[in-house]
Amino acid sequence: MTVSHHLTDITIQDYAAGTLSMPMETLVACHLTVCSQCRRRAEVADSIGGNLFDQAEPATVTVSAADLLARAAMAPDHAAPQTASVASPAQPGVPRPLSRLLPTGLEELDWRRIAPGIKRFNLSDQHRKYGAFQLLHLDPGVTLSAHSHNDRELTYLVQGSYSDEVGKFQVGDIADLDGHHHHQPVIDSEEPCIALIATHSPVRYSGFVGKIMQPFVGI
Amino acid sequence: MNTLVPNPSGKPSDTAVALRQRMSNNLAAIGQEQDEAAFADFYSYYAGRVKSFLMGKGMNEEISEELTQEIMLTVWRRAESYDPKKAAASTWLFTIARNRRIDYLRGNSRIEVELDDEMLDVETTDTDPQAQFVENAQVAKRLKRALEKLPQEQRQVMHLSYFRGQSHGAIAKWLDLPIGTVKSRIRLAMQSVRLSLEGEDQDLLNDYTEKS
Repeated sequence: MTVSHHLTDITIQDYAAGTLSMPMETLVACHLTVCSQCRRRAEVADSIGGNLFDQAEPATVTVSAADLLARAAMAPDHAAPQTASVASPAQPGVPRPLSRLLPTGLEELDWRRIAPGIKRFNLSDQHRKYGAFQLLHLDPGVTLSAHSHNDRELTYLVQGSYSDEVGKFQVGDIADLDGHHHHQPVIDSEEPCIALIATHSPVRYSGFVGKIMQPFVGI
Repeated sequence: MNTLVPNPSGKPSDTAVALRQRMSNNLAAIGQEQDEAAFADFYSYYAGRVKSFLMGKGMNEEISEELTQEIMLTVWRRAESYDPKKAAASTWLFTIARNRRIDYLRGNSRIEVELDDEMLDVETTDTDPQAQFVENAQVAKRLKRALEKLPQEQRQVMHLSYFRGQSHGAIAKWLDLPIGTVKSRIRLAMQSVRLSLEGEDQDLLNDYTEKS
C-alpha cells in the first residue's frame, strides 16, 4: 500500500501524550497500522514521554517495593490477562482498530441514506455537538458541500478515493485537518468511497445548500 | 582525564545512558529471575515519578497512589514482555502509566495498532536501519541532547502536554496564548527532535572530528 497523506506532528504528539478521544485514537491507530513511517514517528513521540519521565520531580510514595511485592504475593494476579486477540470477522482492507467496531462486513452494515449517493453508519451515539464518529459511503461522482471545521477533523480512507483542495486521497491515507482548512471533496474512484471520520466539533458549511445539508450529513 | 576541559553536554548525557542501561538490566532481571532487588531499584527511581505524573494530570493523591502501585505491579508481572531493542525502560513505563490512566478515566483501553494485524505495513521496519533508531544508547544521548537544546518555550509546552495539560487547547488557556502558538511550538519541538535523530551520521562525524 502506498500511503501519501500522513498524520501531523501535532496529532502524533497528542496521541503519545494520551489526550485524544477514543474515536480520534481509532483513526490514528488505523493509519499507524498501514504506515510504518508514521508508526516510527509515534515511537519517537513515546520516547520523548519516557525521557521526560526520567527528569520528572518524584512525589512521595507511601508503600515500599518490598511491601508491595509481599502484598502482591497474597493476592492473585487480576490484572488484565494477555488477551489472545479476539478473532474478529475477516474484513479484507479494514485495519483491526476499525474492524473491531463493526458488527458485520462493510457492505452489510446498516447504512442510512442521508442524501443522494451518501450513506452513513454511526459509530457513536453521542450528540452531534460533541463531534462525529462515523463511516460514510459515497457513490462515485458525489461532491460534498464545501465546509471547514472549528477543530480537528480526521478522515481515514477505507475504500475508493476522493480529491479536494489538499490533494488526492486513497486507501490508507489520512486527512489530518484543523480549523484552517476549507475543503470540498469529490469522489473520483470507480467503486464507492468509504471513509472513516472523526471530528471534535460540528462542521461549518459555507453555502446555502450546505447549511441545509448540515443537520443531515454531520461531517 | 583532563578535568580542566569543560564538557557541558557530555556528562549529563553519559549519566542518562548509564541510567537507561541500569533500568533496562533491572527489567531483564525481573523478567527472567523475578529479581526483587532489581525491582526495588526500579521502584525507588520510578514509583515517585509515576505518582507525580498521575497527580500532575489532575488525579488526587489517593487515586494516584493506588494506580502507581498497580502500574508498578504491572512492571513486576510483565517485565518479561519488555524488549530493550524496541524502547528504553522509561518509555515502556511511560506507555504503561499513560494507558492505565486512560483506562481508569474512561473505562476502555487506549486504541492501538495490533502487531498481528494482516494490514500491518512491515515493509520498512526490518530493512530500514532508521526504523530501529530508538533502541541504542547513542540515540538515547542524542534524544536527551535534542530535548535539552529546545528553547525554553517549546520545552514548556511539551512538558505541559505530556505531564500536565489535558489538551493543546487547555495549555493555550493555561498559558494565555492563542492555540495556534501552542501548536506551532509543539510542531517545532517535534521537528527538531526528529531532525536531531535523523542527523545521526553527520553528528557521529562531528564527534569523531572533535576527538581527533
